[in-house]
Amino acid sequence: MRCNTVHALLDLHLEQQLPEELAQQIERHLMRCAACAFEARTLEQTRNLLRAAIPPVAPSPSFRERAAARLQDALVPHLHPRLEQADTRQWRLPLLPED
Amino acid sequence: MIDHLTGTQFPPQDTHEQRLIARFQQGDPEALATLYDRYVDRVFACAYHLLNNREDAEEVTIEAFLRAFERAATFRGECPLLGWLLVITRNLCRDRQRQPRLLTLEPEVADRHAVRASALCSTETALAVQRALEALPEEYRLVLMLCDVQEWDAREAATILHRSVQATKSLLYRARRALRQQLQDTWNREDATDAM
Repeated sequence: MRCNTVHALLDLHLEQQLPEELAQQIERHLMRCAACAFEARTLEQTRNLLRAAIPPVAPSPSFRERAAARLQDALVPHLHPRLEQADTRQWRLPLLPED
Repeated sequence: MIDHLTGTQFPPQDTHEQRLIARFQQGDPEALATLYDRYVDRVFACAYHLLNNREDAEEVTIEAFLRAFERAATFRGECPLLGWLLVITRNLCRDRQRQPRLLTLEPEVADRHAVRASALCSTETALAVQRALEALPEEYRLVLMLCDVQEWDAREAATILHRSVQATKSLLYRARRALRQQLQDTWNREDATDAM
């Protein structure tokens, strides 16, 4: 396998999305080629550092409560007519406390 | 199943999701609650990364669900419901970005990329990663946040980025290399300073 082929496949290899046989060919190349091994290692380190340094964002629990309450208030009159007849205490958006 | 907006091919929806959507379109409140619970995090993350502001992202998240619920009957199932929700969210973000603001606020950099120290990463390193990320073009930053930090599938990120899946993957690969270069440059400069 040539270096430019390895470079083109490194991201997929990093994401473990290559067929086993192809992944093994790349691994064998990385054992022999210091330049490609450096490329692979630094790419993986960069992704790992990014994941370690920046946490995924998520809405706060207080937002989820506020949003659920607003949606519930806004949607009851607009949804299917059967909702207007329904006892709204029977359904709750998640995280909304019971009365 | 193809998203005609981006040409993205999605796997068929599972039957549970299909049943849930059918019930949602008929106004079943339990289905609505389940879908909200399932997708609120992703809708929020999408808005947050497009707007760079938690407060605006929260408002858009609520608006996106309201709009989706109001238009449920128009959802034809040509793409996954999440994709449809993300397109609504993206459009709402664009509307919001076009609105004039009375007060121009600095982007919430510190909040947007709240860094964390861990066993794998000191606070100093985390801050360097944050600065390197901030130095990248917007589209690089966005694809890295969606795919590598939020760990979204490239098909979902493609919906937000309005690109094909292949173009999204190419963008991601270029972005990873640009981030690596930024970090290398930063640390090379620091090494040079230390050596003086």
